[in-house]
Amino acid sequence: MFRNKMDQLIWQRHRRMLFAIAILTLLGVVMVSLVALNNIVDDRETHNLVSATLINQWRPYNGGYFAAYSMWLILAAWLSGLEMMHLDLSDNFNQFLFSSGFSRRHIYWSKIKVAFAVLLLLNVVATGIEYLIYWVGTPHGYTWTIAWPGVLTSWLVGIIMSIGMFAISWFAAEIIGQSGPLVVTIAGFTVSLSGLAGIGGTILHGSPFSLSNDQVMWVGLIAWLVFALALFFWGAALYQHLSLEHNGEYLLFPHLRVPVYIVFVIYVTLLFSWASDGLSMVVAFVLSALFGYGWLWRPRLGEKWHQWRERN
Amino acid sequence: MTLQVTGLSKQIDGRPIIQDINFGWAPGEIIGLVGRNGVGKTTLFRTLMNHYVAEAGHVSVDGDDIRQVPQRQQQLFFIDTQYNFLGTYRLWELPRFFGTVYPQFDTQRFTALIDQFKLNANSQYRRLSKGMRALVNLILALTSNATYIILDEPFDGLDVIVRENIATMVIDEVADQKKGFLISSHDLNELDGLSDRVLLLKDSQLVRDYNLEEIRAKAKKIQLVLNDKVIPEVLKQNSQLIRVSGRVLVVVITDYTTAIDQELKALKPVLFEELPLTLEDLFRANLAHDTGYQMMK
Repeated sequence: MFRNKMDQLIWQRHRRMLFAIAILTLLGVVMVSLVALNNIVDDRETHNLVSATLINQWRPYNGGYFAAYSMWLILAAWLSGLEMMHLDLSDNFNQFLFSSGFSRRHIYWSKIKVAFAVLLLLNVVATGIEYLIYWVGTPHGYTWTIAWPGVLTSWLVGIIMSIGMFAISWFAAEIIGQSGPLVVTIAGFTVSLSGLAGIGGTILHGSPFSLSNDQVMWVGLIAWLVFALALFFWGAALYQHLSLEHNGEYLLFPHLRVPVYIVFVIYVTLLFSWASDGLSMVVAFVLSALFGYGWLWRPRLGEKWHQWRERN
Repeated sequence: MTLQVTGLSKQIDGRPIIQDINFGWAPGEIIGLVGRNGVGKTTLFRTLMNHYVAEAGHVSVDGDDIRQVPQRQQQLFFIDTQYNFLGTYRLWELPRFFGTVYPQFDTQRFTALIDQFKLNANSQYRRLSKGMRALVNLILALTSNATYIILDEPFDGLDVIVRENIATMVIDEVADQKKGFLISSHDLNELDGLSDRVLLLKDSQLVRDYNLEEIRAKAKKIQLVLNDKVIPEVLKQNSQLIRVSGRVLVVVITDYTTAIDQELKALKPVLFEELPLTLEDLFRANLAHDTGYQMMK
């Protein structure tokens, strides 16, 4: 499947988990499609499962009965990023990789290449199966008609979203060394993205930008892609300096503790106090500052607490 | 062909674990690395193997820095006994991984050795006993056909039979001078008869580099019974007392000269017998005042 030795090694190592993610995704796609087809409500007005007006527009299509790009594929990308980076750390495969005679740059991009190859194949297969289910399973008397503008735009937007989700979990798994806190951190950040998107939309809709909904979406997508690429390249630079003595600690790069803390406090304060009064902002700032401090410095606080107790 | 470690240093949480480590290593050598528990032997190996990023220094193989020419690292082999990925894999799966990384990996020999030691190829690595895991690690090391093989406490907790198997395999492997071993231990007896050179790690530094052949050529271990109860001056000045049992003295003289021999014989001892010199005797004699060694005991 892969010609390059490192690609073969990465595939050999991750194929089981990538298969598991693929199976989960395919099951999800099949389940959602069958449930949607089973839940068709006869409203006596239209018997089209896809809105002809919307699917012919250059906009992503996500209707009541049919999504042109399944959300399960975005979840698959998110899980793959997490798996590809974190599993090698938690199972000590990094030790083998780092002494394998391949440069770290080669290892890093090889992992991304293998993951993307699998995800691309999964995208094709899952989308094919989904469309096949609709094609074959559309009830008698109903129509399922799709058009290139809506389909292509949905795939483009979906793939960009997937790349961004992969980048987030991938990068987080590179800098965080504890499984539980890693999942909590990524899940929290992912959930908070809807709030961030809302804030971004409000800014771009208002003056001086005054952008339309479509323009906001495309600006957001481009920003999302740039953000993802920035994470990939920053991750590549960090990977050169990943030293495994910090394995098992919250941050694998101790020098990132302060920057992470600052970003966390600003991000959370902004998220919880946007368009609120000054008091809300102060409360959000103080709480996020305290929480962030406890979260990032907790092991040291815990150790000091135990030392203090032992001394007294 | 040589491997050269130059000025290698590693800190963990601001504390220096190894500092300015320098040594060379050629195929055909079996080097023992000794030091107390926690002195930094495993950290040295992990830094050598690029698991840990060194603060300073570098490792070169045939003059090529392995950071600049990573392929050179395929000439080094090390399995971290504490942190490795082997646990969930079955033994028959391992050659796929190691064969991809080590170009000369000998899968046939791997299978033959697994059979020879009556290991079940279908067993998961984590289900094996400690001794069996040590054997598998050694089998992987040997069949990798890497030039420089690092073994971290390979005899720790093993029974005599497995120990002898491992020692024999290591000695056989260096016979053709194409492979070298660096073996760490906190127990000198384990390295006796195996190492021809010993590095002593103490206070995060490599404090001694002993060529055992040279030392053995000059040193002697003697058991003697003297007529007089008083220990003569020649022994006080030139020997290290290893054991006293009644009037029987066992001493090691690190620099045994003809003059000392004549002085001892002039005392007309009741018993004068040369005993086989062990690595532990040598270290006792050489490091009598070395707290690092004393605390190893």
